[in-house]
Amino acid sequence: MILAVLFANSEGNILVERFNGVPAEERLHWRSFLVKLGADNLKGVKNEELLVASHKSVYIVYTVLGDVSVYVVGKDEYDELALAEVIFVITSAVKDVCGKLPTERLFLDKYGRICLTLDAIIWKGYLENTDKDRIRRLVRLKSPTEF
Amino acid sequence: MAQPLVKKDDDRDDEVDYSPFLGIEKGAVLQEARVFNDPQLDPRRCSQVITKLLYLLNQGETFTKVEATEVFFAVTKLFQSRDMGLRRMVYVIIKELSPSADEVIIVTSSLMKDMTSKTDMYRANAIRVLCRITDGTLLTQIERYLKQAIVDKNPVVASAALVSGIHLLQTNPEIVKRWSNEVQEAVQSRAALVQFHALALLHQIRQNDRLAVNKLVSSLTRGSVRSPLAQCLLIRYTSQVIRESTNDTQTGDRPFYDFLEGCLRHKAEMVIFEAARAITELNGVTSRELTPAITVLQLFLSSSKPVLRFAAVRTLNKVAMSHPMAVTNCNIDMESLISDQNRSIATLAITTLLKTGNESSVDRLMKQITNFMSDIADEFKIVVVDAIRSLCLKFPLKHRSLMNFLSNILREEGGFEYKKAIVDSIVILIRDIPEAKESGLLHLCEFIEDCEFTYLSTQILHFLGIEGPKTSDPSKYIRYIYNRVHLENATVRAGAVSTLAKFGAMVDGLKPRIFVLLRRCLFDNDDEVRDRATLYLNTLGGDGAVVETDEGVKEFLFGSLDVPLVNLENSLKNYDPSEKAFDINSVPKDVKTQPLAEKKATSKKPTGLGAPPPGPPSTVDAYEKLLSSIPEFASFGKLFKSSAPVELTEAETEYAVNVVKHIFDGHVVFQYNCTNTIPEQLLENVTVIVDASEAEEFAEVASKPLRQLPYDSPGQTFVAFEKPEGVSAVGKFSNMLRFIVKEVDPSTGEAEDDGVEDEYQLEDLELVAADYMLKVGVSNFRNAWESMGVDFERVDEYGLGPRDSLAEAVNAVINLLGMQPCEGTEVVPPNSRSHTCLLSGVYLGNVKVLVRLQFGLDGPKDVAMKLAVRSEDETVSDTIHEIVASG
Repeated sequence: MILAVLFANSEGNILVERFNGVPAEERLHWRSFLVKLGADNLKGVKNEELLVASHKSVYIVYTVLGDVSVYVVGKDEYDELALAEVIFVITSAVKDVCGKLPTERLFLDKYGRICLTLDAIIWKGYLENTDKDRIRRLVRLKSPTEF
Repeated sequence: MAQPLVKKDDDRDDEVDYSPFLGIEKGAVLQEARVFNDPQLDPRRCSQVITKLLYLLNQGETFTKVEATEVFFAVTKLFQSRDMGLRRMVYVIIKELSPSADEVIIVTSSLMKDMTSKTDMYRANAIRVLCRITDGTLLTQIERYLKQAIVDKNPVVASAALVSGIHLLQTNPEIVKRWSNEVQEAVQSRAALVQFHALALLHQIRQNDRLAVNKLVSSLTRGSVRSPLAQCLLIRYTSQVIRESTNDTQTGDRPFYDFLEGCLRHKAEMVIFEAARAITELNGVTSRELTPAITVLQLFLSSSKPVLRFAAVRTLNKVAMSHPMAVTNCNIDMESLISDQNRSIATLAITTLLKTGNESSVDRLMKQITNFMSDIADEFKIVVVDAIRSLCLKFPLKHRSLMNFLSNILREEGGFEYKKAIVDSIVILIRDIPEAKESGLLHLCEFIEDCEFTYLSTQILHFLGIEGPKTSDPSKYIRYIYNRVHLENATVRAGAVSTLAKFGAMVDGLKPRIFVLLRRCLFDNDDEVRDRATLYLNTLGGDGAVVETDEGVKEFLFGSLDVPLVNLENSLKNYDPSEKAFDINSVPKDVKTQPLAEKKATSKKPTGLGAPPPGPPSTVDAYEKLLSSIPEFASFGKLFKSSAPVELTEAETEYAVNVVKHIFDGHVVFQYNCTNTIPEQLLENVTVIVDASEAEEFAEVASKPLRQLPYDSPGQTFVAFEKPEGVSAVGKFSNMLRFIVKEVDPSTGEAEDDGVEDEYQLEDLELVAADYMLKVGVSNFRNAWESMGVDFERVDEYGLGPRDSLAEAVNAVINLLGMQPCEGTEVVPPNSRSHTCLLSGVYLGNVKVLVRLQFGLDGPKDVAMKLAVRSEDETVSDTIHEIVASG
């Protein structure tokens, strides 16, 4: 299960957080843990270079995309490799929505579309769509082209 | 992506000012949501408001029930709009608002309409929303559409229905299981993701049907699987099938191994890893099977992508636990990862190296780790400390450098958990490696000179009190202990006073000086410290002269209480001070929660410090106390060994029973730990009827029934057998649980008066030769072997017949004898044709035994073994040979 997807700005403020199967009382802990992880490790990291960590039996893959940092947390079948796939889908779709590497402002300008994009990619903790062209069409309620 | 410079600057100008959500406020957004009720809907405006609502929800903002209901009802009005963009937003916000069951009804008809719409994307999205908010009753109404959707030719619709099925299987399994034909069809889909989702759902539907899973795997491993994700799933399911099947005994081949090996050459890294992991986790994996997997993992160790390096080193770390020799080829690559920027990778590399390194590489490794320790977090440091402890136990001759390393890091900055891990490790090393004792104790003494954690100080003082007096020069610890009396808080001061008194009681020569120090403590400003000092001064005797302290006094002051601490705590809580004085004899000695505690204890890491056990007994000492408190067993003498609990029932049965085998010189006691898992039942007069017809040398002499066994409150019943004195008799015992069962009213918790006698068949229990052997290691096998001498040495050769591998033969003999492998010799290097294994133990009658096993491959599979035994008693040396000959 993909336990969480989180976007934060360069100061560590949350832009998007979506949890699946994480009790409400644990979310705050996860939020601060991830933001601290980013603050400790993401400085100077190239765009889309993936970093990885594990905490007990949970895996975390995270990266920088323009002015925002992206974190994906998973367990069981969503180990570091599956999460690398998930975060790759997310970052390419977000770049696609923004038209370039997002600044914080651009990210917020496209907020609604980004929410729809995430909805098309992950559904209640499972990866549902992986192709960015298809995702772009799904967000506009259009059938995939290859079909 | 190159863009004109001017354009970039323009962007920057726009961005400096404000965020579109600056100053956003929930109340205001809820007001704005009234726009959904407008007769003339403005789709753009409505989409903006929904985005704001999503922003609030994604920031962790919550809506009250009333607020959520209001917004939800307003949102349902938006189904009137035909704007596609808005409709997409509506689907998302409904899912986010998660309406309650009574509200769902308002939106069902609109969603059902969309679900049967001709527009594919309406169908896909409506399915996702409906399945998110629906309950069982509605599901039966829409089931027909969902089944159609699974085989829909539009992959998005099919995937929506399949992923919905995965979620619905948790809540409505009966309904989803009816879709298996359609899901089976979807597994054959040409769309990669549909196949992935269908495979996941089909496996979940059939996971308890072993044959069906086997068929699924057989057909898919032959055919083509389109997406790497589906291929990974298939590999996982294949591993499951392999685990549950047996090898082809004729050829020794493992079913589906070729498929896994083929996946190592797949173009997707994800698939390669999954296959490599699956191979490394195979039961009894051979070095031939392991090699290709290790080779691909080794390549990934030098990948430029951190995720791949992490995955590779994580997998190799696991392999190193069971097959350390197989990983040694990767050591050079792994050493370069110690300086990896990603600390998770570096920590995994170090702990793997610590597991795979040999004795000669320890010093070099420690140097590298020292540099690394200063820049990692405490949680990683704890992992490294644990690995170093294991390494030290494996190579006891290296204790000096490893102990120095531990003491150095003990002086550095660190939190409580980290410091506790180091202290625990030092304590374990002191206990297991006699040569490390004195230096270890001094390291601990130095640590408490500057320790900020009261808990650790008191625990170390307690440990010093036990071990310090037994050293060659106990006086050198006194200064460290007495310093605590001056410099610490009251808790530590009281601990220090007790430790001083222990030295006084155990070392007569120190008593006069200890008395001087204790007298100074009489002026402490804390009651407890003064009370302790007074008590010790008045009881240790001799008024400070060099005299021996009475054994009774020692037992009174420092002996453990004869009752479980949990029971004592409960009794003290219930004690009313206004009545008569508290009587420790009134504390019950029965241990109620023992089986559960034992289970936990076996799964936990060994804890270091010798503080009194906080809960019920779990060691031989505690068992000894428990058994000696039962009059029927009091005459059996000293307890030699207690086994780990052996389960006699399957998991999740009505009654859970495990047994602990207690071995005495002339007796054996079976302690049956029983748990009643049925709330509506009370069991009374619980006994185990043991049939010892297949254990001829045993005669039942006593049985102690358990009076009551209420729900979820474990209890014990015992059966004792007599056996020939000093003889390691073996046999098989069949067990039947007999009891009177009474119905319990769940509302009142009261049991009926009348009960019915009933029986419950338990698994058989075997007493084997290994039960008479204590696993006791020696730190230097060669010294121990030489000093034992050749007087009672017995040497013979044995043919062990065809074996899967040399390692399997080594393990079989170790398990048969139940002895402690020494110096890491239980690990057989891959591809070896011969191996020497060193074992040590203490046999019934407290006879030390050392064993040297030399294995060699005789032909392709046949294993030959030379067994040399040295012990303190020639009959025991002969017995070891008899055990091997008959095993």
